This record gives sequence, structure tokens and C-alpha cells, in this order.
Amino acid sequence: MKNNTTLLKKKVMRWESFLVLILIAEVFIFGLINPKFLLPRVFLGSINNFMTICIVSLFVTFVLITGGIDIQAGSIVGLTSIFIGVLWNDAGMNLYVACFLGLLLGAFCGALSGFFIAFTGVQSMVVTLGGSFLYSGLALMVTNFSSTESYKGISGFPKEFTHFVKGRIFNIIPNQLVIFLVLILITYLLLHRTTYGRKVFLCGVNQNAAEYCGIKSKLIIMSTYILSGVGASLAGILLTAYLGTAKTDLGKEITLPVITAVVLGGTSNLGGTGGVIGTALAAVVIGIMRFGLSMADVNTQYLDIPVGILLIIAVAIRFAGTNPAISKFFNKFKHPLKR
Amino acid sequence: MLKKHSLPRATTSFVFLILLFIGVGLINSSFLTLQNIMLNLNSSVIYTVVAIGIAFVIITGEIDVSVGATLGISAAICGTMVRDGNPVQGIIIALLVGLFIGLFNGFGVTVLRIPSIIMTLGANGIIRGMIYVYTNGKWIENIPLEFKALAQAKFLGIFTWFYFATLVAMVLIYLYMTRTRTGRYFKAVGDNPNGANLLGIPVVGTKIVAFVLCGLFASIGGIMYVSRVGFITPIAGNGYEMKVIAACVLGGISLTGGVGSVIGATIGAAIMASISRALVFLGFPSDYDNTITGILLIVVVVFDSVLQITSAEKVRRQRLSAKIVHAEISTPEAVENEK
Repeated sequence: MKNNTTLLKKKVMRWESFLVLILIAEVFIFGLINPKFLLPRVFLGSINNFMTICIVSLFVTFVLITGGIDIQAGSIVGLTSIFIGVLWNDAGMNLYVACFLGLLLGAFCGALSGFFIAFTGVQSMVVTLGGSFLYSGLALMVTNFSSTESYKGISGFPKEFTHFVKGRIFNIIPNQLVIFLVLILITYLLLHRTTYGRKVFLCGVNQNAAEYCGIKSKLIIMSTYILSGVGASLAGILLTAYLGTAKTDLGKEITLPVITAVVLGGTSNLGGTGGVIGTALAAVVIGIMRFGLSMADVNTQYLDIPVGILLIIAVAIRFAGTNPAISKFFNKFKHPLKR
Repeated sequence: MLKKHSLPRATTSFVFLILLFIGVGLINSSFLTLQNIMLNLNSSVIYTVVAIGIAFVIITGEIDVSVGATLGISAAICGTMVRDGNPVQGIIIALLVGLFIGLFNGFGVTVLRIPSIIMTLGANGIIRGMIYVYTNGKWIENIPLEFKALAQAKFLGIFTWFYFATLVAMVLIYLYMTRTRTGRYFKAVGDNPNGANLLGIPVVGTKIVAFVLCGLFASIGGIMYVSRVGFITPIAGNGYEMKVIAACVLGGISLTGGVGSVIGATIGAAIMASISRALVFLGFPSDYDNTITGILLIVVVVFDSVLQITSAEKVRRQRLSAKIVHAEISTPEAVENEK
């Protein structure tokens, strides 16, 4: 009986539940401020505003679980976008073949960085920093092959391409939400229900132990960067379709929100712990917060302030307990009689 | 011992910088004139100042990605006050803001135990938002000519005063970090925080001091920005954090902490500033800037890492073979002794 209650307690007290609570609070508060916020069409449609962050952070979770970090994903989003634009517009290629090549390009970019990280022992932060310079620079170089000016972007994509992403099922549920849910399912199964996922976790907990278990840990680590590269490309394609324009700087501002989402979702940047569900929830929490605040007439330029504060407070709650001085202080309140 | 570790890597970077100048000079001889070299170095002053600041943090094994935003808000505050005729006040308040941001980051990282990349990412978001709140999203222009002239004032006709002062500060800091007791704390903490703690080194205090110095130097960079650039946009300093981290890495400071020197940071900053000018002299469009920076960063770091791995392997083999030789020599003797 006691066992059951502790199990239940464990399940309820999980980090994800805390995120759900924040989400409910957000919906409640923003609903009070602006009732329009609660209209299903508006509320569900808000996903379109932060879809890129959602998708990229799902895949970057894999990288953080192995103990690495990926700050190049944003550049890959822009590179893919302009790449398919140039292939379609100036090389006259079939759009869907171009999209497929875009995904391959993302995989290649991820593989390149992942190779250096896994096989030469350079810190992931340094390599992906170099990667972010390199891929954003390559994106600018790709625009030189286009007849369009780079700041304008390439537009005029066929209707069925943009329509699929902009469309809604029953005129209410956006297709992007469905795509997001499917991606959550896929990444969840991959990370939490396959041997590959277990290997990813073990590489994050202890790479040497993983190596001694016969796991090719270097390949596993490299594969996580490939996954995040593919995820970034996918996000780039969807964003291009949604906006109807291929531009180099599409993913420029997503590094901060993506890392925020992954860490807020309960994934440790030291590796070994975390999960996809938490990341997805956290991405939605951040997205809804930005959307709700902008609907409450807060200037969009100010939105980094609450997101930053949320990040620091949430992570402080999780990590402050590891400081003996602080946990001692709080234990005083927990057991006033025992002391 | 510490000196031996840090010097060779900074020297390789220095040799690389010279090779860069000679290489570009061979193709376009006007790059190699004294005037142009000095122009290059003088234009790297803001990178250099911020890189010296962040070097403290990186050497203690942490990271600070809020320096770009700190530079931006210091520039905005200093800029408005200088424009309104209170330059001294502006400089003092800008420095205080930098100090406070450093304290805030240091507090979060040490007391609340938030991983430094998360803490400073959050701080980055908050400060960026604050800049918009402070400036209302407007540009700050009409900086008085006298203040702008400060950046152009020359020492001995070649160095600007700014760069000269930075070099003097660099030498003093280098001496401080290698020759004094408290200065060596930074490397000790970065190399092994637990070991440093056992030796009685104030780990928490050292880290907070490192963050405060980092914030202060970023503010100094902001004040120089006002004088050099002459107008401040709300996105001033955007991306500086990445460039500066890249500069430190190029200069041989390891992101794992404990390795490197401020001299390396200075040389790295000079390389970063020279690349974009070198490209202009080689006749490339500035689009290639990021690509070259990315490739350079990855190549240098990977090369360095591979070199270290092979040299470590070589030392290990020498030791092993020495043991074998020793064993071969010793066994016959032992046999004889037995006889």
C-alpha cells in the first residue's frame, strides 16, 4: 500500500507535471487577460508561431542526453531553407526532390560536426560553434547562385506545398500540430522504447562504460548530431513552406529558445537524464508564453525577458537543492519538530 | 609548469597570425604595410577587451554567453548619457551595470548551481529585452564628436590609446594570473574545482570574481563601442559572445577550463578581426566571412586535439617501450643473480 502511494507520488511529482501546471496557469492567466486567446482556432493556431523551436528542440534533446550541446541547428534551418529555394527556383529541380536533398544536407551537416566531436574529442560546444559560423556562411554563399537578392528571399512556391503546412483539419486543428504530435511520437519511441535510445542514454551517463559494454559509443554520439541536423532541416522546410519564402536567416534566433526548451524540459546539459515529452511540453510552455504575452499587448521585443526569467527560476529550483548550504536551510523548514 | 603548458599554444596562434598576414600579403602586398597591420590590430580592440574578460570565466571552467548583451546594454546606457552631456556618469553607470550582471551570473552559477551556459543564456535573454525597454527600440545617435575622437586618438602615432591600454592591461593581467597567489586560483579552480576546494582555495569566490571581471570587461567593451562606432542600435553586440568565445578557443584557451592565457585571447581576437579584412584584400565578398571563420575554428581546434592525442600516445608508447627494455635488461641480471 505504502509502495503504491510512493509510486503514485513519484509519478505525480515528476518534472513534467510541474510543466503541465505552468502550462495550465499560463492558459488561465492569458485567458483572463484576453478572452480571444481561448478561442480554439487562435489557441491551437498559435503552434504555427513556434513550430520551428518545437521540432528542433525535440531532436536536440538527443544531443544533450549524450552530454553534448548543439548550437548549430539554427544555421542548418536557414541553410536548408535557402538550399531548397535555390534548387527549386534556379536549378529547376522538382520541389519534393529538393526537400529530400535538403534533409540529406542537414544529415550531412550534422554528420560532419558529429564526426569531429565523436572522433577527435573536441568539445561539442566548440565544434558546433564553428559549425554555426560555417553553415550560416554557406547559406550566404548559396544565395550567390540565386538570381534573387538575398535579403528578399525566394518566394512563389507552388500552392500545394505551402497549403499543406498552412492548412487545418476540420478548419480548426492546424496540420503543423499534427506533424508535431507525430514527431513527438516518433522521437519518444526512438529514445525511450528502442535499444538505440538506451544506448544514447548510456553514452551520456558514462561513455567509457558504454564502450566496455560493446556499444560503439562514438557512432552513437555522431548519430545524435545527424538526428539533430535532420530535425533542423525538417524545421527549415516546414518554416519555408509556412512563410512561403526561402531565406538564409530563418533560424537565426532559435538557439536560445531551443536550449531553453530542452533544459527546461528536464534534460540535464551534463548528459544522461532527460526525455522527449518534457522537451515538447517545455517548448509549448515557452511558445504559449510568448504568444500569450504578445496577445496581451506586450511588445514582442520584450519577450526575451520573461523567457529568460522563467529559464533561470525553473533551473534554479532544480539545481539549488544540490548546494548543501541551501538544502540544509530548507530542511530546517521541512522538519521543524525533528530538529 | 603552468607557464610551460600555456605558452606553446599561444605561440602557435601567434605564428598562425603572422602566417595569415604574410600569406595574404603575398597575394596583395598592400595588406602587409605597417599602416594596415596597425589598422587591423586597432580594429580588434573591442573583441580583445571582451575576450580578455571572458577568458577569466573560461579558464575557471565556466562559460558566459551574455557578454554580447552586456556590451549592448552598457553601450546603450553610456551612449544616452554621453549624448545628454554626462560622460563620466555614463561610464560609471555602465561599469556598475556590467559589475552587477557579473555578480548576478556568478551568484546563479555558484550559489544556485545553475549550469553556466543555461544561466548566462537566460541572462542574455533578459538583458537583450532590457535593452529594448531602455531604448524603446530606437537608435542612439548624435554622440558628441569629442567622445568619438577618443577612439581615434593615437599613441606614438601607430596604436590607438584604446588598444595600447588594452595591451598594457593584458600584460598586467597575465603577470597577475601567472605570478601571484590569487591570480593562480583561476587556473586551479578551472583545472580541478574539487581539488582546489581541498587545497583551501575559495572556489565559489574565485568563480564569482571571474564572472564579475567578465561583466566589467564587457562593459568596457561597450563604452569603447560607443566611442568607436558612434551610434548604438538595439542589437548592438549581437553575436559578439560567439565571436569572442571563438577567439579564445583560437588563442588556445580550453573550454574545459584550466588551460590558456589572456595573451592567447588577445591573439585570437586579432585573428578574428583580421580574417574579415583579409578577405576584402583577397577580393572575396564579405559573405565568405562566416564560412572561413567556421572552417578555421574547426580546423584549428581539431588539428590541436589530434596533435595532443598523438603526442600523448607517443609519450605513453615511449614509457611502455622503456619499461620493456628495462625488463629485458633486468631479467638476465636477475637470472645471473639467482645462479
